Amino acid sequence: MSETFHTGDHPHGAYVFRLYLAGGAPNSVRALANLYAICRKHFPDSHRIEVIDVLKEPLRALAEAIVVTPTVVKVSPAPELQIIGNLSEEDEVLRALGLPQKETP
Amino acid sequence: MSDRKHADVLEKISTGIEGFDDITGGGLPQRRTTLLMGGPGCGKTVLALQMLVSGAKQHGTPGIFVAFEENARQVSANAGAFGWDMPELEKKQLFFVDACMRSDVVKSGAFDLTGLLAALEAKASEMGAKVIVFDAIDVLLSLLDDPAAECRELYRLHEWLLRHELTGIITTKIDDNKPGTAQRYGFMPFMADCTVLLSQRLTDHVAMRAMRVVKYRGSPHILNEVPFVIGPAGVEVGATNGVHPEPQPFKERVSTGIARLDAMLSGGFYRGTNALITGSSGTGKSTLAGLFLEAACRRGERALFVSFDENARDLVRDLASVNVHLTPHLKSGLLRMEAVRTEAAASEDHFIRIKHLIAEHHPDCLAVDPLSALVKVGGELAATNAAERLIYICRNRRITVLFTSLLEGADMQMETTPLHISTLADSWLQISYALHGGERNRALTIIKSRGSKHSNQMRELVFSDTGITLADPYTAGGEVLMGTLRIEKENAVRAEQERKRHEIEQKRREVELVMAQRDLHLEAAQRDLRNRSEDLDTLKLAEKTSTSEQTQRQDEVVRRRDGQLLRDQPARAKADGRKPASAGLKKRGSRL
Repeated sequence: MSETFHTGDHPHGAYVFRLYLAGGAPNSVRALANLYAICRKHFPDSHRIEVIDVLKEPLRALAEAIVVTPTVVKVSPAPELQIIGNLSEEDEVLRALGLPQKETP
Repeated sequence: MSDRKHADVLEKISTGIEGFDDITGGGLPQRRTTLLMGGPGCGKTVLALQMLVSGAKQHGTPGIFVAFEENARQVSANAGAFGWDMPELEKKQLFFVDACMRSDVVKSGAFDLTGLLAALEAKASEMGAKVIVFDAIDVLLSLLDDPAAECRELYRLHEWLLRHELTGIITTKIDDNKPGTAQRYGFMPFMADCTVLLSQRLTDHVAMRAMRVVKYRGSPHILNEVPFVIGPAGVEVGATNGVHPEPQPFKERVSTGIARLDAMLSGGFYRGTNALITGSSGTGKSTLAGLFLEAACRRGERALFVSFDENARDLVRDLASVNVHLTPHLKSGLLRMEAVRTEAAASEDHFIRIKHLIAEHHPDCLAVDPLSALVKVGGELAATNAAERLIYICRNRRITVLFTSLLEGADMQMETTPLHISTLADSWLQISYALHGGERNRALTIIKSRGSKHSNQMRELVFSDTGITLADPYTAGGEVLMGTLRIEKENAVRAEQERKRHEIEQKRREVELVMAQRDLHLEAAQRDLRNRSEDLDTLKLAEKTSTSEQTQRQDEVVRRRDGQLLRDQPARAKADGRKPASAGLKKRGSRL
């Protein structure tokens, strides 16, 4: 029961994210919005977001060792990366993704 | 209404951990949350897991284990070391959730447990889980890094557990040095109905584990700290504090191995009771313990010798020197000897070790030499507690136990034992050194022997290469004689006896001599009598002879006279003379 958002036509080198969230929980809703914004801003042409609602697929979350929601997994490019939280701290996300941050001190 | 009432009644579920059920008055609160708190490495995970496992094994209760800190595989594998059949349990009753966060996880913004709880909810209803463990929740809380968020998530968890009527076990690390912990752990006990504090500390360089039920909502519980160990079969809690074994009537007597000591105790120790032998160093406590077990093996009973600080081989050799031979019984398997180094572990560990040895060997008789070694490490209170429980176990199993206890210094005079075990002991023998006449001698006294008549005498304990015994009691001037004095007394008694024997013998000889003399006299008299009677015969014969001779002579005279008359006719006279003479003799003989 996952939804996939496609943007752009560049499957090679595309950023693929998997977002585990808990239905309409505030943090989950915010995470989805934040992830979408980051992707549009930094990889406007080459990203894909797969959304997994843990409330709908609870056993999948257990199988994939998802402890908290929301959790974002960067599936590609390798290496895999896990980010927890509603992604409100954008700098942390960018640093983790190896992208230049908005403001450099 | 009735549903409401049902929810209010506190029900408990047995944890299968005997001591834990004791201190909590029956186990964990059912459908409520229990919090296990403690420093690192104090046994929270093992305890929580054991509760889950024993529920699954004993009652078939399905359960879920959520591991936040350790890898779930690891936790399950560690459990295998305690002999729990994890692969089998994991097929049906147990489920492990690996909630161990990746070390390289990046945090950005707020998150919560909604997803995890939704997932667990699905799993729990799928397998019908009744118990759920959240192990090391502190790891997750640290990640939140916000006191308000921590409280919010704990509250969420608590609500979730209540809503699903799950029995929750939450473990959390306490680190006093870490800031923020105070607030965190101020809130946690609030959500829990039962809070258990685990601790591990060093006492005399030995690690001791202890637990304390800090709170138990709506239930009485033991507030004291109780020791526990993580033994070969998992957590064992020592908690029969204040529970005294019911005295049972024991009729059968068990020999002490010394016939004379048995006699002093009206037949020996009662079976299933415990005896304490106290004495200072070198008084022979171990020897008496060895003797007691040797006697047991000779009767075909099983025996266990737990020796602290002396290795088994030395002990066997030393005992052989006083004619106590354990080797054959060791070979036959009746006897088992275990040498334990006191420093190696805390008293609670020693207790568990002995308990396991008892379970393995099934002894009829047990010797622990010396029990006082337990005090050497980890404090007296814990040791006393362990000793009490050992007594309790032995009594239940009808094992006759001989404890020895070392008395040192002033204690020797005070007749107290370091463990205060003397009050628990059914029999108490004291070996002391009696100083007298420039010697130290071993003196044995029976201080008490419950439910049986016993001698009040102080007796000398004598060890020799032919064995061990109690010397005959000799008293002089109101004191029991020992050592040389006793030997002197014995010698004196022996000399006196010898003298008397001599005297009698001499008298007997004298009488015999007199009798022999009388015999001789009698013989002589008889001989004399015989001689005299013979003489008499001779005389009588002589008398007769002389008479006949006289007659002859008379005849001759007559003949001669006749001869003169008949000289003219000599030839006729000769013939006639012989004839009348012979005829005359015959006539006299017939007359006699």
